Amino acid sequence: MHIVVPVKLVPDLVEELVIDASGCALDPDTLRLQLNEFDGHAIEQAILLKERGGGQVTVIAPDLEGVDDVLYTAAAKGADRLIKLCDHFGQAVNNHAMARAVAEVIKPLQPDLVLTGVQSHSDLDGSIGPLLAGYLAMPYVGYIAGVTLSDGRATVRKEYPGGLVAELEVTLPAVLGIQAADQPPRYVAFSRIRQAMKSATIEEQTVAALDTSGGPAVARMYKPEVAARATMLDGKPDEVADQLVALFRELGVL
Amino acid sequence: MPERVDFWGIPHTWGPPELYAYGIMGLASLVLLFRLYQAVSLWWRLGRAEKRWDQLHIRIWRLIQYAIVQVRVLSQRYPGIMHVALAWAFFVFLWGTILATIHSHFIGFLYGHTYLVYKLALDVFTAIFIGGAILAAYRRYVLRPRRLTLAPRFTYSLVLIVVIVLGGLSVESTRLAVERPEWAWWMPAGWLVAQLWLATGASDATLLDWHFGLWFFHLLSVALLFVTLPQSTMLHVITGPLNVFFSKLDRPMGRLAPQPQTASGEPLFVTSLRDLTWKQLLDSEACTECGRCQDACPAFAAGTPLSPKELMLNIRTALRRDGPQLLQRGNGANGVPALVGEVVQDAVLWSCTTCGACVRECPVLIEHIDTMVDMRRQLVNEGRMDSMLQEALANLGRYGNSFGQSERVRGRWAQGFDPPIKDARKESVEYLWFVGDYASYSATLSDITRKTAEVFQKLGLDFGILYEGERNAGNDVRRVGEEGLYEMLVHRNTAVLSRCSFKAIVTTDPHSYNTLKNEYPPEVLDGRPVLHYTELLDQLLMTGALKFSHRLGYTVTYSDPCYLGRYNGVYDAPRRLILATGCQLVEMPRCGDRAACCGAGGGRIWMEEQAVQERPSEARIREAAALEGVQALVVTCPKDVTMYRDAVKTTGYEPRLAVKELMELVHAAL
Repeated sequence: MHIVVPVKLVPDLVEELVIDASGCALDPDTLRLQLNEFDGHAIEQAILLKERGGGQVTVIAPDLEGVDDVLYTAAAKGADRLIKLCDHFGQAVNNHAMARAVAEVIKPLQPDLVLTGVQSHSDLDGSIGPLLAGYLAMPYVGYIAGVTLSDGRATVRKEYPGGLVAELEVTLPAVLGIQAADQPPRYVAFSRIRQAMKSATIEEQTVAALDTSGGPAVARMYKPEVAARATMLDGKPDEVADQLVALFRELGVL
Repeated sequence: MPERVDFWGIPHTWGPPELYAYGIMGLASLVLLFRLYQAVSLWWRLGRAEKRWDQLHIRIWRLIQYAIVQVRVLSQRYPGIMHVALAWAFFVFLWGTILATIHSHFIGFLYGHTYLVYKLALDVFTAIFIGGAILAAYRRYVLRPRRLTLAPRFTYSLVLIVVIVLGGLSVESTRLAVERPEWAWWMPAGWLVAQLWLATGASDATLLDWHFGLWFFHLLSVALLFVTLPQSTMLHVITGPLNVFFSKLDRPMGRLAPQPQTASGEPLFVTSLRDLTWKQLLDSEACTECGRCQDACPAFAAGTPLSPKELMLNIRTALRRDGPQLLQRGNGANGVPALVGEVVQDAVLWSCTTCGACVRECPVLIEHIDTMVDMRRQLVNEGRMDSMLQEALANLGRYGNSFGQSERVRGRWAQGFDPPIKDARKESVEYLWFVGDYASYSATLSDITRKTAEVFQKLGLDFGILYEGERNAGNDVRRVGEEGLYEMLVHRNTAVLSRCSFKAIVTTDPHSYNTLKNEYPPEVLDGRPVLHYTELLDQLLMTGALKFSHRLGYTVTYSDPCYLGRYNGVYDAPRRLILATGCQLVEMPRCGDRAACCGAGGGRIWMEEQAVQERPSEARIREAAALEGVQALVVTCPKDVTMYRDAVKTTGYEPRLAVKELMELVHAAL
């Protein structure tokens, strides 16, 4: 069982976001990146599957600030192979371009299973999983919280809005969009990461020029602007309700 | 003339009494030595090597202090008097035996008055022993304090030593009843008992028979003590002093041993008894089960699964049960319960606040916290922790603070000061103020942090901070067991500090204070002091640079932070400051080195709250509130402010009792 986990590095929202001079993108110089939270769950799920049934886990990440830490941390958790995608990632890259680049790297690996985080807060053009599945010509199921493997098939728990859960069977190879791993991502002690830095190697793979077609063109990027002030309604509940109804009538809603 | 006569009245019917007396005792001693060897070889051969042989003069001094005078034992009145009555009596009996041996085989000197004083001393201590035994029995069978182990094996030991001493007294009394010498009152206890013998009207021959029987019984009971000692609770008379002798001298209480390493330099994690050092195993064997640690433990009082005593006893049980198997078959021994997780449960390890109260109380100087942290390191290595702690550690690794905020806003509280607060990375300062996480980031503490800066400015101190260059100092990261992260934090901080020009480091946080002072590489400080702000202000008070213009007039009590008081011995400076602000200080029952912990230390503040009966902070608030007329609980630690301001609300004492950082009093009185 070969599980491949392509991950994204996304802006760390702890820092204030700054929009660059063009007004269409975030300023890369002030950005601080971190592993997409859902991708952390995808890595954890891959490691859990390996621990349960054996196999190999390969983690792929674009060469951005902090990528080595992300990859070595994955190795400390139990990932076997670390691949860093080089060149072209300094600019804002959309998911279409990412999916095309990653698919080319994944194809020769001939994975049985590809796990991605179901979404990230930097997804402007849809999540990467379905795009990737398209380029790899594999089935895709997203919003997964729980995976078990048997005989070339994966049984997955898919969460639907409204608290419904479905169990689906997927024929492998497949791409799964992970919402949550079976267990929360584990803590990796610093000493383990340090050991991984000594023992694991990061393979660098240069990808061809990125093709961003299919994604949206950002016309303007801006911070939420303060809209007109809200009006606060005071009084007892009955009075407030009357005022509200009057307001709705005035606005033609009722 | 009075004189000691060897084997007085012992018939030679079974041959010379020396022969079988020494024969029986020699045999008993051999059994004792063999069984001791078996016990010792377990911890000695199983445990990892650790050097504890240096500085013999200090070790011998500690032996005198803690094993012979027993200062720690005496620090609690009832159990202290009870124990030294028994122990000192046995020391005297031991000396009595040694002197008698010298007298009979080497230099005879027990004649005349020397003999009488010798006998008087033995008799007086016999009486003292009986007093101690009565106290012990009353405590064990009537008072039955919760901390004691009320098991039959303790009764066995108590009965045996009482039998031995009463046996000796009976032998002496029968001899006195036969001899009836004019100096009999020099042996008051024996002579009093002799009156009973005389009152029976028995003939001298009968008394001599009794004397022989009792003497033989006494001999056998001592032999029984010897033979059973290594398996009985009396073993502590050997392991206790050994543990005292081998107690740590290489580092202060505030410095943890670094993570042990394997021969190849990899970090070594404690997974089995073999990974503990022989001294850590000896700790468990030395435990006398007195339970003082448990009484002092805030985690135990709160109702968590931790009792420092049970921790030691669990290790001891495992050592005796699994030790032989591990010795024989090495790490390949299957079916041996895991030390971390089975012998000692995760929840037990995570309950510890590392407040050091157990270490402070232990009469035989057991080092609970070192072992606790060693085992926590294994939990961290395996990622066995609650999600809140995991998040805090991840934040500390990524941002250098547990709040998960950017390091870039670490100095945000310092905006708007005129003159601005110096950036110690860019300017030379006299005092480098290491602010710490809580004072920097906690919204509820920023007022106090700003007041601290105002006080420093009013006093005209030349000071600066590191702004975003500062990271969590790592004290509690280390005590959580995340040694790798601790090293990273130390590395980051020392890299910044080494480029700064300063004459002293000052901090308001006792935790940062402890690790900076005791654990950071010495070259970072290069002889420059680390001061808690109370020490600095106290110095300024002495030199007259700090003068207060208002007298506050409050009646307050003061809670010593663990890492300032117990760990670093700073007790007087904060008290002098409190008095100087014109407040009246009333002490709580638990104060100074016995001050109770707020429950936040050792990383507990980052962990999920356990199911507890009463939070340590709430217990402390009740203790303060019980003092008559006390208006405020004064603290000198940012975590204390956080913990106690919560607890004063949850206990409902808020309107009556204020929680004040001493800096607030200083600010108001200046």
